[in-house]
Amino acid sequence: MRPTPRLAIGSMLAALTIFSLFLPGCKKPAERKEGEILIGFSSRDLSAEYTAKLSEAIVEYAKTKPGVKLVMVDAQSDVQKQFSQVENFVAQKVDAIILNPCELEASTPAVDYVKAAKIPLVLVNQVTKSAGDSYIGSNDFEAGRIAMEAIAKKLNGQGGVLMIHGIMGTSAQLQREAGAREVFAKYPGLKLIDQQTASWDRAKAMALTENWIQAHKGKFQAVFAHNDEMAMGALLALERAGIKKDVTVIGIDAIAQALTAVKEGRLDATVFQDAVGQGRGSVDAALLLARKQPCPKENLIPFQLVTLENLSSFLK
Amino acid sequence: MNAARTLHLDRNFLNRYGILIALVALAGVLSVTTDSFATASNLTNVARQVSINGILAVGVTFVLLTGGVDLSLGSVVALSGVVCALYAHPGEYPLAVPLSMGLITGALCGLLNGVLVTRGGIAPFIVTLGMMTMARGLALIFSGGKPVADMTPALTNLAGDWGPLPIPVLCFAFVALLAWLFLGRFRLGRHLYAVGGNEQAARAAGVSVTKVKLFAYGICGLLTGLAGVVLAARITTGQPNAGQAYELDAIAAVVIGGTSLSGGVGSIRGTILGVLLIGIINNGLDLQGVSSYYQAVIKGLIIVGAVWLDRRQSRS
Repeated sequence: MRPTPRLAIGSMLAALTIFSLFLPGCKKPAERKEGEILIGFSSRDLSAEYTAKLSEAIVEYAKTKPGVKLVMVDAQSDVQKQFSQVENFVAQKVDAIILNPCELEASTPAVDYVKAAKIPLVLVNQVTKSAGDSYIGSNDFEAGRIAMEAIAKKLNGQGGVLMIHGIMGTSAQLQREAGAREVFAKYPGLKLIDQQTASWDRAKAMALTENWIQAHKGKFQAVFAHNDEMAMGALLALERAGIKKDVTVIGIDAIAQALTAVKEGRLDATVFQDAVGQGRGSVDAALLLARKQPCPKENLIPFQLVTLENLSSFLK
Repeated sequence: MNAARTLHLDRNFLNRYGILIALVALAGVLSVTTDSFATASNLTNVARQVSINGILAVGVTFVLLTGGVDLSLGSVVALSGVVCALYAHPGEYPLAVPLSMGLITGALCGLLNGVLVTRGGIAPFIVTLGMMTMARGLALIFSGGKPVADMTPALTNLAGDWGPLPIPVLCFAFVALLAWLFLGRFRLGRHLYAVGGNEQAARAAGVSVTKVKLFAYGICGLLTGLAGVVLAARITTGQPNAGQAYELDAIAAVVIGGTSLSGGVGSIRGTILGVLLIGIINNGLDLQGVSSYYQAVIKGLIIVGAVWLDRRQSRS
């Protein structure tokens, strides 16, 4: 094979780099006008549906505030990448940082770094070991409790339940499980027949539920999935087996498809996490802090159960 | 002398039928320890669950036989599924359009892999690693980061049953039969073995190595596209995040089935047994309520054990 000249490769790479500047989503570094408030926002992962919704809410809400400029970057679930993004914000001397941390433990150094630089810091949707100046989020424990309470009510406190976990060890999985456990403790007639992780994944939850139908058919009356993706997988498996009418299925997050399924009477309920509320809350907090005004340490946006009865207020 | 011969025979026997024996033993144990394993409905269930991995494994057998590897399977599954779903909204296009768009997407990715490996002279590991992230990125771009929903029932019905048989299983069976015939009866099929066994010798014997490899990656891509379409039909959405790590299960199945990672040795029969073994392990462990932590350990041990057997065989 004829070796490609280095010059050709070099110029190709250069052309690619220049080209990439024109791609949608790539922006030039922020230029600052006099008296403008500059906020840096690092999103955990724009490819995750809920996080994308939250980030969009933050960007859109900041646009409505005069004299405020918000720069968003995507950490793509990479702790290290997020740390460098935060370092860049500090180097730019932004007026406030909104951080949607990747992880509980591993993102803590980034939080400490911002605090050492004395820049106001708002954490959104995920806590770290060190606290920021303000935290805006929702308590996943509540979500688990609300979903399981709805199942208990539907079953009149009697029956077998299957629980599909998220990725084990993530804070959402741990908290949602703990919330559900509290309900099990309250209703002795409610039995946890089996539980397993499906890693937030619809196809995995579907296969798992198919296997459970084989193993426990007739012994369970409800499935609680830690998110809607997995609830949809369980729902499809139950429908294909023709036994959905005997089983209550509830998930969490209120993603678009889950809301549609509730509307069609297929999914029994989901739990709504308020992305817009969290987004607005975090921009408001960042502005208060940047203007050196008092700001509450914590602002918890409540979860809400979505059923056929109250569905209309959640559909846009 | 006699004892040595018996031992030698035993070893040959073990090498030849080891996986079949493992499969029968596993099925036997599961039939005794659970009431639900050896039922017609569960066996159909297992067949349905292995069909996607089965289609992928048959495809990647072609690539592994040439001494290559394809790490992009999972991402290309997601991309093909998303593309298929984008064309599958009810009342927009006839069924053939989403189907062929999904297949073409997969085939194009495979061919691009093949071109880069043969013409570009880049190691398959690197090429397909690049494709893995590229295809995932494209899936996210095309879908806007959200699951592509609202698929026509005509397409999602493809994951349903045809008489007593699930359609995905029929797809897998058809693909496996064609591949088996092709590798055994056609000259190009035998050339795959020749290229993987000794590339220089094959070239000297007049085999067009480039053509053979392009063909292998192209077929692998086409079948990956098919798997993507089947998965989208099954979970009734095109999921940009679907198919995570599917390449690992597919390659594991092929390797368990006795195909050598260095190329030139292997069979479709072995691949099918490998696929069934992994599927029955997943199903059986779910039926028994074994934690997914242990499931991962057990699966890993089986994969390493199978490769160890394979190496021992090639040394002797």
